[in-house]
Amino acid sequence: MKNRMSHQKLGWSALMLGVLSLSSASSVAAEEKQAKPAESKKTTPARAAGGGIEQEKTVPNIESGKWTGPRLADGQPDVSGHWSNTIANHNNFTDPQGGIPNDTGTPNQQQRPLGPRGERAPSRVSDPADGQVPFQPWAIEKVKEFRSGFTNPTKGELVEPLARCAPAGIPKSLYWHGYEIAQFPGYVVFYFNSGTRIIHLDGKPHLPENIKLWNGDSRGHWEGNTLVVDVTNQNGKALFGRTGEFISENGHIQEKYIFQKGGTRFNYVAVLTDPTVYTRPFTVTVPARKWTAKDKTNGWHFEVEPSNYPANYTGKRGGLDNFERICTENNNGFGLGAAEKPQQ
Amino acid sequence: MNTLLINQSSRLHGLGVTLLLAACVLTSSLLSMEATAAVQKTPLLANGKPDFSGIWQTTSAADYDLEPHSNRKDAPPGAGIVEGNVIPYLPQALEQKKKNFEARATNDPKLKGYTLGVPRGIYYPEPFQIFQRPSDLSIVFQFGHSVRTVHTDGSIHPREDRVEDWWLGDSRGHWEGNTLVVDAKFFNDKTWLDSAGNFHSDQYHVVEYWKFLDPNTIGYKATIEDPQVYSRPWNISVILYRHREKNFQLIEDYRFTLDYDQFYPPKPNK
Repeated sequence: MKNRMSHQKLGWSALMLGVLSLSSASSVAAEEKQAKPAESKKTTPARAAGGGIEQEKTVPNIESGKWTGPRLADGQPDVSGHWSNTIANHNNFTDPQGGIPNDTGTPNQQQRPLGPRGERAPSRVSDPADGQVPFQPWAIEKVKEFRSGFTNPTKGELVEPLARCAPAGIPKSLYWHGYEIAQFPGYVVFYFNSGTRIIHLDGKPHLPENIKLWNGDSRGHWEGNTLVVDVTNQNGKALFGRTGEFISENGHIQEKYIFQKGGTRFNYVAVLTDPTVYTRPFTVTVPARKWTAKDKTNGWHFEVEPSNYPANYTGKRGGLDNFERICTENNNGFGLGAAEKPQQ
Repeated sequence: MNTLLINQSSRLHGLGVTLLLAACVLTSSLLSMEATAAVQKTPLLANGKPDFSGIWQTTSAADYDLEPHSNRKDAPPGAGIVEGNVIPYLPQALEQKKKNFEARATNDPKLKGYTLGVPRGIYYPEPFQIFQRPSDLSIVFQFGHSVRTVHTDGSIHPREDRVEDWWLGDSRGHWEGNTLVVDAKFFNDKTWLDSAGNFHSDQYHVVEYWKFLDPNTIGYKATIEDPQVYSRPWNISVILYRHREKNFQLIEDYRFTLDYDQFYPPKPNK
């Protein structure tokens, strides 16, 4: 019986390495080895020092406008392929390259010495200007509670749900490993590392309100270079990161995926509204870049392998295998306090 | 005058019958033409291959038990979908199957929300959606929202040194006429084939045959082999129906999260 680590597990391990010893040189080296960034492109914004998952520290400006690139037979701009965020993973929502706050109490007690805030990527909250989620007072308390218990959770709600293999949800899926966008007549489909989103383009009404989903219910349409998506029916259970920010089942998310000319980048710009959690709507921005067969595979952003073809094969050989996006197999006591059975 | 009237009336009547008959013939021939057209109008991709895109589901009771079974408290009766009715277990494997059956109320992986596997996801009583391109078909199962990709770009299974034990195996398809033939292997041994404890090892190998019976119906067959568990390859077949309800869509069913759903999202303190 073969029982090698799956890709998913490799992903987790790479991440755990990063999490468990953010400051140690060996972990940086290991991360570099597993997740070597691809060649930088001319349009690439300032590079991040961290390498690995953290590739860049600025967000390019991409305007909504006409789409001049290739289209699919059904008229959709062709943006299909492999994509990943350029900034950081979900360790920290508003200081994406700042690591997990209050990271004490577990083996990963060492904190990465952080320089001035301005040397790291900006907050994913692009509005309001202070980069903070405009939480209502009760919600701030909940976030603080989550952070203080994160490394040693004593209650079920203090375990980050992604650590239990729950779908990463919105918006976290956009900065949790690379993912594939596939397009079909009437659909844009996101195959995320943890969860799948089907965006319906046919204008059908949303599901009845009382149906609540990890990834919500998505209706989209194209406006030039921009995929506009309305998300309702969320269960509010997926946190935004290891820093505990959240939305509730009353939340509404209006997303724009604004694709750059040339189709190698997009900015995800989403307005989150929830009168039961926030004091006002706010905007989340996540930059992403495309990965293609020309790039080296990468243990976090681009977890694919070139397909295998028979020796006598004469057709096109561009296929990429993304073997399996299943996390349930890890649902057995993953670190940071998650257990197969929730703690009572 | 009366005679004339009668004659005229009778002539008119005759004309009416003739017209009616003609109309009937025309209608029925139109109908049969339509039926013929429907049979011939298999959905096709631009490359001329059958296009299985859509949302599909079986009506069979296969997931309760692949083999013929009477009703029982946890299953309706079913005639089974195994060719020859009986799965040809090796003696030791049959003992394991019996143990699985006895423990099915707790050990069926579906109860834990685990990925259903191949081909269980196909005949599990929840819809799945096929997204198809010339290079591949992706099957998104409502149960667990897991994704199985069948490559149809001429690629073959990964080299042995790249192979792992996967929940959904590695699937490579090719076309034999209008039939999609899929070879799936490199599975783990954690999935069951149904709720009755039918199982396999990691030597499991499935060959599937997908073919349109009409534009809204797929005939699905599979040959299953596993030298560690069965004495010979065996076959199953089910029919899959297209969901045509207005606005029908998959509704994600991340079953495995239910145990801890209660903890999220954060709620105001009371």
